[in-house]
Amino acid sequence: MSEKETELEKATESGRISEADAADLSGQDKARKHRKTAKAAISFIVMIVLLVALFFAAVNIGSLKVSFPELLKGLFVKYNEDVATIYDLRFPRIVISMLAGAAIAVSGVLFQAVLKNPLADPGIIGISSGASFAAVLITAFAPTLFFFTPLFAFLGGVVAFVLVYSLSWKGGLSPLRIILVGVAVDAMFTGLSSGLNSMNGGDMSGVAAIVNGNITMKTWDDVRTLVPYVIVGLVLALIFTGMCNLLSLEDKTARSLGVNVNLMRIIISMIAVLLASISTAVAGVISFLGLIVPHIGRLLVGSDHRALVPFSALFGAFIFLLADTIGRTIAAPYEVSAAIIMSVVGGPFFIILLRRSKKYAK
Amino acid sequence: MRSKEKNMDLTSTENILDSEKKFSKKDKWADKPAMEVRDLHFSYGKNKVLKGVSLKIEEGKITTIMGANGCGKSTLFSLMTKNLYPRKGNIFLKGKNVQNLNLKEFARKVAIVQQYNSASDDITVENLVAFGRTPHKKMMQGDSAEDERMIQWALEVTNLTEYRDREVSRLSGGQRQRVWIAMALCQGTKTLFLDEPTTYLDIRYQIEILQLVKKLNQEFGITIIMVLHDINQAIAYSDNVIGMKDGKVLVEGDPEEVITEESIRELYGIELGVTRVDGRKFVLAV
Repeated sequence: MSEKETELEKATESGRISEADAADLSGQDKARKHRKTAKAAISFIVMIVLLVALFFAAVNIGSLKVSFPELLKGLFVKYNEDVATIYDLRFPRIVISMLAGAAIAVSGVLFQAVLKNPLADPGIIGISSGASFAAVLITAFAPTLFFFTPLFAFLGGVVAFVLVYSLSWKGGLSPLRIILVGVAVDAMFTGLSSGLNSMNGGDMSGVAAIVNGNITMKTWDDVRTLVPYVIVGLVLALIFTGMCNLLSLEDKTARSLGVNVNLMRIIISMIAVLLASISTAVAGVISFLGLIVPHIGRLLVGSDHRALVPFSALFGAFIFLLADTIGRTIAAPYEVSAAIIMSVVGGPFFIILLRRSKKYAK
Repeated sequence: MRSKEKNMDLTSTENILDSEKKFSKKDKWADKPAMEVRDLHFSYGKNKVLKGVSLKIEEGKITTIMGANGCGKSTLFSLMTKNLYPRKGNIFLKGKNVQNLNLKEFARKVAIVQQYNSASDDITVENLVAFGRTPHKKMMQGDSAEDERMIQWALEVTNLTEYRDREVSRLSGGQRQRVWIAMALCQGTKTLFLDEPTTYLDIRYQIEILQLVKKLNQEFGITIIMVLHDINQAIAYSDNVIGMKDGKVLVEGDPEEVITEESIRELYGIELGVTRVDGRKFVLAV
């Protein structure tokens, strides 16, 4: 250390901390950092193991049961009637659960980054019900356009987002105002969807499925609808993780680093809307998933989006599949939809977050 | 045009500060002031905030913009840092109109420490400082050896090397301000703006930050432009001051000459004595 620096060090710390103490402190910081890295790594590994375990458990839960070797054999080697039935009936809903869970959770992370609001959730702020209403419209009035449902759902989500964003803008974005406006937009679109359902006699299974988040009768066709959009959305989300990190700075500061903050906001919002809308079009409106998963994710892997986004994808897939699996076993042979399970568990969780957060619930 | 840009990129990855120097030597604008503002006008709606501001910022000097609340200094600062766009008039950076530079190009030449800053709770000093390399990188690009070198340099200069692994949220106010300065230094620019860098700090940290600013200017030749509220600190640490009133420049020059009882009366509308202690000028600001 040069003389000048030592001098400045003395001036800055005015002898409060000796050099030995400083070295000790920086050692502590290093140890702390390593502990955090280890915790994040373990969280990822545990999450992957849990997800794989749950996948096989979910495959095997229900009236048909096959052993693990039988399953592998039936899938890849020799035809087995039980395995074929499971493959046609259970696999699609399992894959859809995982894809939708990953998409909604990552959508939540992105909304929270863009709106600088840890309470933002595509379900709560009305993005999902906007998407759902558009999907319902198509199903009710132009069933021949069924193939384009995801596209219309996306447009519905965009409309809802623009409404929430512009209506809660008042010289700045207050976190609480976003939630309040979002709740109102959500109520409006949910009402419109339900009204449309009633006007059509309330017996349109397609409409009801979207409104209620029913994924019982999903087929491989639905999986094929979902896969390309979700993969594109997740890859885009991963590409923009660095930008999400920069958005955590003040807008002016990010701008002074050469970042076009407004453009980044729009791009990341659109990725979030895409992920939320597509999963809504196939799996219905799911609330609180995009809130709970990123929140716990931050505690486990930190708020660096480069870790938080992939972790939330895994964790979201796990939670949704868990909710769906519990839903179809808890009152068998009747089924409780994953959306209902998420609302029942998520509501109290949201209230706890609100009450614990000093910043947002004064 | 494209290939010229590429060349600049190559040299800049070798040594940013030196290459800027080399570049500016070849530059036909070499003898131009670091920044020049010509007849700048700006208004919020009908409220005219700047009414024809013209000034020059000398290269390698510390220039402080001062004036009463609402005199337009914050607006001028925002315009000079490309956070606002002028209604009329131009701003030149080494003879180039800043309107023709995109945000990224501008961020490679000018760094800004904003008045109010925030970051996520668990980001470490080193990771935050590394954000300063953003304008030199493409999206998704990792840290190059040059990035690493600049980060280490910025941490050393601001005396933060020992705190590199600590969360920014666990630092004191003065240390946190040094982190934001380190982030700006990391951009490797020859010009540094600071918006009221001492506002949220107690006196010890105020002096510490101003000494750091002086060191950046003297040891690394960085041109400093800052907004300060404290008149005495402005006198003690600046080579030039720009005093503003009602959207116009009232005084401009060496604080030893331009800060007088009369100019203070005009700038702030208050009678304050000016005295000398050990040959240094002080305003009796109580």
